[in-house]
Amino acid sequence: MEDKELRESLHPLERKVLLVLHDHDSVEDTAARAGMQPVEVMRAFQWLQNKDVLSIHEELREEISLGTNGEAYKHQGLPERRLLNALTSQPLPVSELLEKAKLTMEEVHAILGILRQRNALALSKKEELLLMLTPTGEKTRATKLPEEKILGREFPFDIRELTAEEKSVVETLKRRKDIVKVDLVKRKRAVLTALGKRLIADKNVRQLETVDRVTKDMLLSKSWKDTIFRRYDVSIDVPKIYGGKKHHYRRFLDDVRIKFLSLGFTEMEGPIVETDFYNMDALFMPQFHSARDIHDAYYVKEPKYFPLDQKLVTKVKDAHEMGGGTGSKGWQYAFDVQRTHRTLLRTQGTAVSAHMLASPDIKIPGKYFGITRVFRADVIDATHNVDFYQTEGIVVEEKLTLRHLIGLLKLFAQEFSNTSEIRIVPGYFPFTEPSCELYAKHPDLGWVELGGAGIFRPELVKPLLGREISVLAWGLGIDRLGMFKLGIKDIRALFSHDLHFLRTVGLG
Amino acid sequence: MPTIQCSFTDLKDLYGKKCSLDELRQWLPAAKAELEHYDEKTDTLTIKLGDTNQPYLWSVEGITRFLRHYQGNERGIPRIKMMKTKNIISVDPKLHSIRPVIAAFIAKGKPFTNYLLKQFIQMQEKIADGFGRRRQKVAIGMYPSSKISFPLRYYAADPEKTSFVPLDGTKENLRRILAYHPKGKEYAWILQDAKQYPLLEDARRQIISFPPITNAEDTGRINIGDSSIFFEATGTDHAAVNLVTTIFAYAFAERGFSLQQVSVKYHDKTENTPLLKEEAVAITPEQVAAYLGIQLKKSEIKTLLERAQYDVLEKVKIPPYRGDILHPVDVIEDIGIMYGYDKIEPLPLTTSTVGAALPKIREIEKCRELLLGLGYQEVLSPVLSNKELLCDKMNTPDTGIVEIENFMSQTYSAVRTWILPVLLEMLSKNKHVDYPQRVFEQGIVTRRVGDMCNDEEHLAVVYCNTIADYTEMKQVMDYLFSMLGARCSITSAEHPALIPGRVGDILVNRRKVGFLGELSPHVLEKLDITMPAVCMELNLSVLFSLAKNS
Repeated sequence: MEDKELRESLHPLERKVLLVLHDHDSVEDTAARAGMQPVEVMRAFQWLQNKDVLSIHEELREEISLGTNGEAYKHQGLPERRLLNALTSQPLPVSELLEKAKLTMEEVHAILGILRQRNALALSKKEELLLMLTPTGEKTRATKLPEEKILGREFPFDIRELTAEEKSVVETLKRRKDIVKVDLVKRKRAVLTALGKRLIADKNVRQLETVDRVTKDMLLSKSWKDTIFRRYDVSIDVPKIYGGKKHHYRRFLDDVRIKFLSLGFTEMEGPIVETDFYNMDALFMPQFHSARDIHDAYYVKEPKYFPLDQKLVTKVKDAHEMGGGTGSKGWQYAFDVQRTHRTLLRTQGTAVSAHMLASPDIKIPGKYFGITRVFRADVIDATHNVDFYQTEGIVVEEKLTLRHLIGLLKLFAQEFSNTSEIRIVPGYFPFTEPSCELYAKHPDLGWVELGGAGIFRPELVKPLLGREISVLAWGLGIDRLGMFKLGIKDIRALFSHDLHFLRTVGLG
Repeated sequence: MPTIQCSFTDLKDLYGKKCSLDELRQWLPAAKAELEHYDEKTDTLTIKLGDTNQPYLWSVEGITRFLRHYQGNERGIPRIKMMKTKNIISVDPKLHSIRPVIAAFIAKGKPFTNYLLKQFIQMQEKIADGFGRRRQKVAIGMYPSSKISFPLRYYAADPEKTSFVPLDGTKENLRRILAYHPKGKEYAWILQDAKQYPLLEDARRQIISFPPITNAEDTGRINIGDSSIFFEATGTDHAAVNLVTTIFAYAFAERGFSLQQVSVKYHDKTENTPLLKEEAVAITPEQVAAYLGIQLKKSEIKTLLERAQYDVLEKVKIPPYRGDILHPVDVIEDIGIMYGYDKIEPLPLTTSTVGAALPKIREIEKCRELLLGLGYQEVLSPVLSNKELLCDKMNTPDTGIVEIENFMSQTYSAVRTWILPVLLEMLSKNKHVDYPQRVFEQGIVTRRVGDMCNDEEHLAVVYCNTIADYTEMKQVMDYLFSMLGARCSITSAEHPALIPGRVGDILVNRRKVGFLGELSPHVLEKLDITMPAVCMELNLSVLFSLAKNS
């Protein structure tokens, strides 16, 4: 960066620091000199370091600072000075001296030894202790004591600034109560770079006035014309923000809906709490048959039974028992009419197709789809959820065949998996015949099972719709598709409650 | 879906021709099966069977029979020879309401090896458990026939007065066997309504079995080396019991056993079992074309059907081990499979239809879009929740929670009646995540209303931050309703989860469509949330219906 650009990029705090900074100054020194808070200086140091003006060196040092008594003595004078000043060449009683010098007995005891060592006073004893100044003492009084020299310094300071002699004085002071203390302290210092040294010498730094923000006043008064705006460090890390974001899986489901609409399908829905009737019986799944064990249902505590259209129940019952006039022999068992009213949570989206077929609103020819919440009694793990989405649908039209079904599946593979390479293999669903499974070659994942499909059995269609007609039915494993699209490995992450994840997960 | 294991060598032996692992992998889908795994060390294949309605395929004998035909090595219905005997089982009419049906045969041949024993036990377990609906519909027993003397009696016995020694047990009466024997405890539910229990005893009046619970210790265990087997199946469904018996008879025949039939004497009829009845169905090329969309000649259909183990005369005859053929379409599917789904040319749908989303979607999208614009993160939660969260933790009474009778985990034992608790529970798990936390969820809830359950679309919104007051949410609400063009009024209200005096009910046309307010510290504490929160929940279904009417 040019020096000029650098100057213009200085933050007011940085400039304030540069105006007073010397090489090797500590944060505290600089703060005191610039009249700033140490945190402000530290921030300025860091910014200046980023600009290669200085480098921050960290050091450990022994630092001498004043104790509470030390602070007081610095202003009132040391006890020995005050006693020396009070003494005369005549012996005076201690009590009188205490009052005159405003000293406590404790303080006097602490300094008597020191002053006697220096031959500055003499003791005598009558009723009480008497003290008098010696001729040496008079000379002492006229000079500055080494302790006073120490106390006269700026605190805190580095012990390394002292001579050996001074250090021993500090040692004696340290032994006295709360006068000085020595601490091990971490200090940060600014070591100027060549650029820094040049910048400090540069008078322009002092003169340059930059402005941080454009203000309304500036615009109104046109003062911006004479203004230099401070240059920013544009690569700076700023605090993170999070926007209002669609849920990643919901967004995927929105796309799925749009896809079906664009293919000319109409959306259908049905209730979460279903009956055995719509969930299975109307789909020609026999009540007492292994076909029923494809998955386990959650049954509802209350209400245990829902009312149903009895005419419709009778038709389905006939189909189960004797084929319902479709040319089928039926399952040949006694259909349990009470059981068909039993309530449960919908286990398959196909229940919604059953509702559609039985609805007077159905349009023929018609194409329908549903994005449906379904529930299975299962143990939750990375690939099983008890509560998930299914996408299924039907195409109702005269004279549709397996060829149309395969054509439709090919279209789905193209639209949902972006591939025309598909494999259709025989499958089994209790409600379709023929039945098949759809695999698609995913560009990244290889052969992936996309879903199942088939042509609804006549024993299903006739009771619900009132006549036989070809109904293509299909279901797509939408959770699995969504996981591929979103790069999610664990199915539970589709319904994650981790807010950080929700805020940061990609849109797929 | 059942999964079986067998040795690859055994499979190749039964298949009778060369067959590589790759070929097997390619061929199995035609049987709606899948090669899951092959363990080279133990030569063990693991095969998953997709068709829960064709139990004959749930054994290596059935699979290889399918493959031999599929590959054209054999054609038409394979037939087994049954020797007529005077072996009789007489059936007690009192069993009519308990477990009325029995079918049986005797198989004589080579001594059982350990492997063969395992295969038959596997088949027995898979079929009784799956197709037999955990032995209720069909249960299977096998015995060394040398230990049994005909005629047998299948009768209803008194649970208290009848005792015998069950497999791996000590002599007990039937009631106690149900209560204490491991199999008794497992299958007692099948007999829970019965006053008398089914029992099978032989000519010497020794009890050989207590179907569907357990065989007797003395006679009911097949050992390696046994070469003569008595097989019986009992159950509630005549067709299913006879189908299973037929499937086993065919499996024994595949293994080279010679078979003897057993006569079952009911009070009104006598049946020689296995029945081996071949039903017939008429199939026309027009029907085939109507389903598959391909024009096949009669002769082509005949060839394809013979590969699927059917006989084709005037009508199509169905092999006796297929119980799943109810309608001509079931046969037509087999024609399609033999033809090959990969050879069927796809056709596009050509009828033009206009797509349409559910009418509510447009309104729901508006709500979501507005909240996203306000910076709220969208959440998607399971619909299943639990009463403790929905009521207790929210300090709120039950307003018609739909509970699950057979839940597997308490966490998911009820359907949510509102969304707010779910969002709050989520926030309690995210206390370490940056605030402010703005979240919303739009989704379905269900509530019991009288004898019915109503699904409703709801919207819940929560703002959680160091300061989260009523104003924050009132602003959201004002904006939302203004943009939706719904005129609403707010009345001061009470809500047990919210701070009194800081709760507003939202009314449209004097009808409540939701509420907003500050969460009570009491509730926050119960939910372990250490930050103030303000919330709103709307019943969109009601709101949309009112907006539509006004």
